[in-house]
Amino acid sequence: MSTARLQEVLICFGKQKQTDILTANTDAEMWRFGKLNAALANPRLNTENDAEEFGKGHEFPTQSFQTSWDVSGTLEKYLGAEIAAWAMAFGLGKVVKSGAAPNFTYTCTPLMPANGDPAELPYFSFVEQIRPGAGVVLDRMAVGCVIESWTITIGSGPGRTNSRIAIEFAGSGKFTEPSGIVMPAATLEKLLPSASLALSIDGVDYVSNKNIVSLETGWKNNVRMDAGFYPGSGFQTAGDATSGAIRGRLEFGNRQGTLRFTARFESGSTELTKLKNQSTGTAVISLAYDANNSLEITWHKVSFATAEVGETDGIVTVAVECLPMFDATNGIVSAVAKCGVDSICQ
Amino acid sequence: MNEFIWMSPPFGQGEPVQVEAKPEVLIPLMVAGYSQCEPPASREEVKEDVHG
Repeated sequence: MSTARLQEVLICFGKQKQTDILTANTDAEMWRFGKLNAALANPRLNTENDAEEFGKGHEFPTQSFQTSWDVSGTLEKYLGAEIAAWAMAFGLGKVVKSGAAPNFTYTCTPLMPANGDPAELPYFSFVEQIRPGAGVVLDRMAVGCVIESWTITIGSGPGRTNSRIAIEFAGSGKFTEPSGIVMPAATLEKLLPSASLALSIDGVDYVSNKNIVSLETGWKNNVRMDAGFYPGSGFQTAGDATSGAIRGRLEFGNRQGTLRFTARFESGSTELTKLKNQSTGTAVISLAYDANNSLEITWHKVSFATAEVGETDGIVTVAVECLPMFDATNGIVSAVAKCGVDSICQ
Repeated sequence: MNEFIWMSPPFGQGEPVQVEAKPEVLIPLMVAGYSQCEPPASREEVKEDVHG
């Protein structure tokens, strides 16, 4: 027997959205990426037993029951134009596609149920394989997954690790084993390096003044996982009530945006003044590979919630936590992602 | 050349509108509930002024 090492794990997932929560992506709708983290998206079976039931004559369990299934996972990657477009589209939920090869543009905003948008996020399937086929170690597909959160971190330094994205996802609980998916060729990624950053927050260009040290921005959907189990939500095996319940919907809860950054603090720096004044402005974060591959995230109205002076490597810096707020015209956040790949979240 | 796309109004109420595919145009519409849609089948393509 040859030992399976985790470097062998292959992942692919729906570039396009599923037609509904239970209809898996097809081969043609998948794309394949590498990742940085070792964690696998293990399906977890939740069980119950009859220990607390009366009438047995003792307090011990005599039976166990398959009750429900969970699937969740995390993707950690160097930030590239393709994964950025995918994360923005599936994570925020509302997408307008324009452009043509090699410059597709995905304009993404959060769904707004008050204005007629659904509360369900777009679904995708997620496949993990280790030696699929005759010598299979692992080959499974989680169906009906949504993005729970994405976090982009930008740091100082020369390597790729200074521009990363972490994506958490959660699934309906339904999975298929073996997946039945033929792993596609790896996607050619266009990295969005830290050195390409353009950053303007409340009127200050933190790149041209050479003061930005690091930045983190993110979005969390706070998906209502338990609400996915409703009367009639279904089972792992359709029609088999003993196979464990799965979710029939995944709706976002109270969503949260985050933006925090650390910048050098010097004479004339305005962060503390803005904190006291509670002034508001836009925050625009841009990263680019070239004219056809880029990401621009705009928080349309932010104030400073905290600003603390400290130090980074012996240099006086200020760590600022922004409060993203809803702008009546442009909403809370938008992302314009450009890449050469068609049909993302379509 | 500028690109135009079609957007349908929120709650499916009203006729689709054709708008320029620029973030400053699209984002307020998306926030207001407009969604991208196919061009109406019965409508001729709208072109820019072709008269000299």
